[in-house]
Amino acid sequence: MKKEHSQNGITLEAPLEESSGKYPRHIQVVMKGNYAAAEAARLCRAGFIPAYPITPQTTIVERLSELVTEGKLDATYINMDSEHSVFAAAMGAAIGGERVFTATAGQGLFYAHEVLQAIAHFRLPMVVCNVGRPSIPWNIWSDQSDSLSQRDTGWIQFYGESSQEVLDTIIQAYVLAERVNIPAMVVLDAFYQSHTSENVWIPDQNLVDRFLPPIQPGEMAIDVLQPKSFGGLIPPEHYNRLNYNYWKAMNQAEAMAEEIATDFGAHFGRPYGNVEAVNIGPETRLVLVTISSITSTVRGVIRDYPEVGLLKLRLFKPFPKEAVKRALAPLSKNAVIAIVERNFLGDNEGAIMQEMKRALYGSDLRMYDFYAGVGGKDVPPVTIEKIIHRAFHQPEEVNWIDVG
Amino acid sequence: MLEIRGHARGGQGMVTAFEILAKIFSKLGNFQVQAFPAFGVERTGAPIQAFLRVAKKEILNRSNIYHPHLIVVFDESLLEQVPVFNGLQKDGAVLINTERPVTDFSAPDRVVYTVPATRISLGLGLGSKSLPIVNAAMIGALARIFEVSLELVQETIRDNVPAKPEANMEAAARALRSVNGANGRNRFLIEALHAQPQKNHRKVEDLHFDVPLEINGMETPFWSEPSSKNKTGNWRLITPSYSDRPAPCNSNCPAGTDVRGFVRLTSEQKFDEALELISRHNPFPSICGRVCPNFCEQNCNRNELDRGLNIGAIERFLGDRAPEGKIKPAPVRHKERVAVIGSGPAGLTAALRLCEKGYSTTVFEALPQAGGMMRAGIPKFRLPDEVLDREIRRIEQKGVKIELNKKVAVEELSSRFDLVIAATGSHIGSPLRIEGEEFARDGINFLREFKLDHDADGLHQGQEVAIIGGGNTAVDVARTVLRLGGIPTIYYRRTIKEMPAIAQEVKEAQMEGVKIEFLTAPVALAPAGPSQVALTLTEMKMGEPDESGRRRPIPVPGTERAILVGRVIKAIGQRADLFAFGPKPVEPQQGYIELESGASVFCAGDMAWGGTVAEAIGSGNKVAEEVDAYLRGKPYHEKETLPEVVLPKDINYAYYLPMARHYNKLHHPRNLTGDFNEVARGLDEQEVVAETARCLHCGECFNCGNCINFCPDAAIHVDEEGRLRIDYDYCKGCGICVQECPCSAMQFQLTEAVL
Repeated sequence: MKKEHSQNGITLEAPLEESSGKYPRHIQVVMKGNYAAAEAARLCRAGFIPAYPITPQTTIVERLSELVTEGKLDATYINMDSEHSVFAAAMGAAIGGERVFTATAGQGLFYAHEVLQAIAHFRLPMVVCNVGRPSIPWNIWSDQSDSLSQRDTGWIQFYGESSQEVLDTIIQAYVLAERVNIPAMVVLDAFYQSHTSENVWIPDQNLVDRFLPPIQPGEMAIDVLQPKSFGGLIPPEHYNRLNYNYWKAMNQAEAMAEEIATDFGAHFGRPYGNVEAVNIGPETRLVLVTISSITSTVRGVIRDYPEVGLLKLRLFKPFPKEAVKRALAPLSKNAVIAIVERNFLGDNEGAIMQEMKRALYGSDLRMYDFYAGVGGKDVPPVTIEKIIHRAFHQPEEVNWIDVG
Repeated sequence: MLEIRGHARGGQGMVTAFEILAKIFSKLGNFQVQAFPAFGVERTGAPIQAFLRVAKKEILNRSNIYHPHLIVVFDESLLEQVPVFNGLQKDGAVLINTERPVTDFSAPDRVVYTVPATRISLGLGLGSKSLPIVNAAMIGALARIFEVSLELVQETIRDNVPAKPEANMEAAARALRSVNGANGRNRFLIEALHAQPQKNHRKVEDLHFDVPLEINGMETPFWSEPSSKNKTGNWRLITPSYSDRPAPCNSNCPAGTDVRGFVRLTSEQKFDEALELISRHNPFPSICGRVCPNFCEQNCNRNELDRGLNIGAIERFLGDRAPEGKIKPAPVRHKERVAVIGSGPAGLTAALRLCEKGYSTTVFEALPQAGGMMRAGIPKFRLPDEVLDREIRRIEQKGVKIELNKKVAVEELSSRFDLVIAATGSHIGSPLRIEGEEFARDGINFLREFKLDHDADGLHQGQEVAIIGGGNTAVDVARTVLRLGGIPTIYYRRTIKEMPAIAQEVKEAQMEGVKIEFLTAPVALAPAGPSQVALTLTEMKMGEPDESGRRRPIPVPGTERAILVGRVIKAIGQRADLFAFGPKPVEPQQGYIELESGASVFCAGDMAWGGTVAEAIGSGNKVAEEVDAYLRGKPYHEKETLPEVVLPKDINYAYYLPMARHYNKLHHPRNLTGDFNEVARGLDEQEVVAETARCLHCGECFNCGNCINFCPDAAIHVDEEGRLRIDYDYCKGCGICVQECPCSAMQFQLTEAVL
């Protein structure tokens, strides 16, 4: 029934309840990105959640604690004493065959570094949210240096553009992680996503259940009737074999992620890919390469610039080389690639430039790197326009925009 | 797309308000919304911003809002600090929480709305005066501007506020009705809400760059630079300050002595200043350092840690080292002459104070020596004569005249003096009220006669003496008897816990060999031969508490027994000597006394209140103030006692180490007979200074530096005079300094207005 909410002012369209036709078996709500992440963990029926607070992630684990307390999520929730312990507990529970979820940020992730390696090389599937912030000088704002610096720990990494994408990606990440037995990290931006309230479609539980079946404990799982030892010393010949298997699995992950993202679209009505190409064609003179929330602002800016396209990277590890090459294939050889980096890893190029060069080895495309928004510096449309301008006017190979 | 920017202080609920607004818009008409905050280093009171975008289509901008259509100001004081209006679009609107009229904020190309959201919120108990939570009221005001139904607003508020849903809903309703400014719909805002993004088809060559406007307003320092430009003091909701709270030693001293002060000066080895400080309230430091029950020590907060300070010994040390030099007499500045009857501590103190104030004062003493009870009632082994002489001499040198052997009444002085103070004390022994009363001697008389006349009342070696009572007189009598060769036994009807005598004196008496039988009371006395008295005693037990709160002793039937002793001395209390007032009965009380003759008579000392030297000194100080006011025709008010004495709960004991107390050494020869040497010996300078180091400095800053060490904002410094000071430009009011102050020398109060 249509409900008139205005006294005499704004002309109203149909209110929310009737507009849910866009995505059947969903409800639309306005919620913060961190709450969307927690909601995703609930929908995925995470069974074990070790937690330790850190800004700007804290409201994820706080919300999960509420959900567990309210009986809306049947999970074991444990407050740990540090992130190192959080990840150690996560590892133990995953060995036991539980579906594990937790969240961290910045220093928390750095502190867990040792255990990140262990979880990956034990081949334990789980999904962890990281709300990106840098380290020193002390800073709590949006920056991807923390997760990008962990790219070599062996985890799969996704970066979400919106709260909706974070929620949807967590669901996909569980499917992928449990299929290849590799843990996955879903990264969202501090504040611009974590604390931003926006429209999110929440799928029905049974819709998710059909897409993500209950976790199947593998042969590695703890079984009290079949005692095994974990974590013992591995001699060189076995270590070699384990890494070889890991390498094979990781090589399958890119294609599998693409397949799962496509399936997700069919299932939920919101298709995704490992990358997304916008306005990339033979006439395109410049392609901006982005990850995370800056992508939205770039979309808005390039509406006014028909010669500028966008390549958004959603999957970062394994780096989607095939998808990137496919997406850029239509470009003329005069086209220019400009990469937006909200990270600094202590090298000349930022993390994305390094990976892009690897993916496009042998290509004639000119590639320029642009540091922008590091440490949470706001990236308004005008900053994107400056990048566009610079990309066309004698750019350096690596450029800093808006250095204050 | 509509863009709204909000400015508030952390804690006012703006982020929640913007999220609620986003929800309201999303329910209104399938709008896409985006609400987010921009925090600094987030903290209550800090200036923060929030942003809200509302659009019909997907919102393709995730950066801060620099050119809003509407600016919402939750806290008016931010107008002084943050360039809140920066970037407002032409014809854009502002909504300000203020009591001021709209015209105060008017400007061309700007539509102004105001709402008294603070008043509305506080009226409904939302937040505090220093931090009103105005978010629901601000939502209500915005609902009025966008003409959204109150029902939808209230429903969304109810479902989303963390507490007090009813009050918040009501705040929104009241604010909706209280918006000042343009009536009718704001076409500019409504159009922005529905506007579709336009494709502009710009060429790269057309690019021009507007530098984003500064909307933060907070000069955030670079991490490696001094943070001095970041004046964060205005975030403060509570304001710490150094305070001077009374210490229990000070507030407990009946004489009013600044005990904490003289202990500190002594610790700094400023002995003369310390003595001077004592003398302002107490002219008898040597005496009080020996005979006072040390009210100051009784509630010393150090008792909770190990043992209270030996304040008596410190005071005694200071008094004893007072220079013997000539004291300059105080000049007489007033014509009124004052007479004081009685040269006890009350009379002498009153006389000294009035002399210092410029009155000619004369003290009349019935006995041949001055000092009152200090002279006649306290044995030499507790208070040597020369100590007493010296302190009285100082009073005389100041200009007080003492006339000895003058037992005078008020009447005979009235003609010669403008005013008389009666301080004749309580030295008439109370009766036992038992059969054979007349066969008991009076303890206070015994002490006086022995002290002044060396009359031992025929007491001889080996004589058994029964002493009835439990106060200092009983103990002093017993110890005197012991020194005269008698065998004293004290009979007290209660237990040692209830004994009013100074505990240390009781202990010393027992060490010397005085026997004390507790829960024993006399029933009857009878003569038994030429040199003996039959004393019938009964055992007692402790019954129910009486009006004074002490348990009343009651006789145990069938326990009576008779003993033969050489002498019975009663010492069960004294009553006032009222002869000075003449034959008509007078009820003595502190201060002015109404007499039939109309003479100006005041009263002080034991006869008014108290019963110790310190109380008598306090009484003397007080009566002098009252007399001065009376003579000068000024109103007299008793000084109010200071509030909030520092108690053990206020002390942070973790910051103090246990330190052994320095006890007075005691003189206890094997044979006491004939030995009237002082028992308690003083501490030497080194010991005294070491003892003062044990002071906790309750309620007084002693520059320990904890506040500096703990202040996370480096907002505390030491000024040129070496004092700790708070720089309120930077103090954010976290309260850690107050928490970590060891001795409660800091306090905080709510900052009334955040400015």
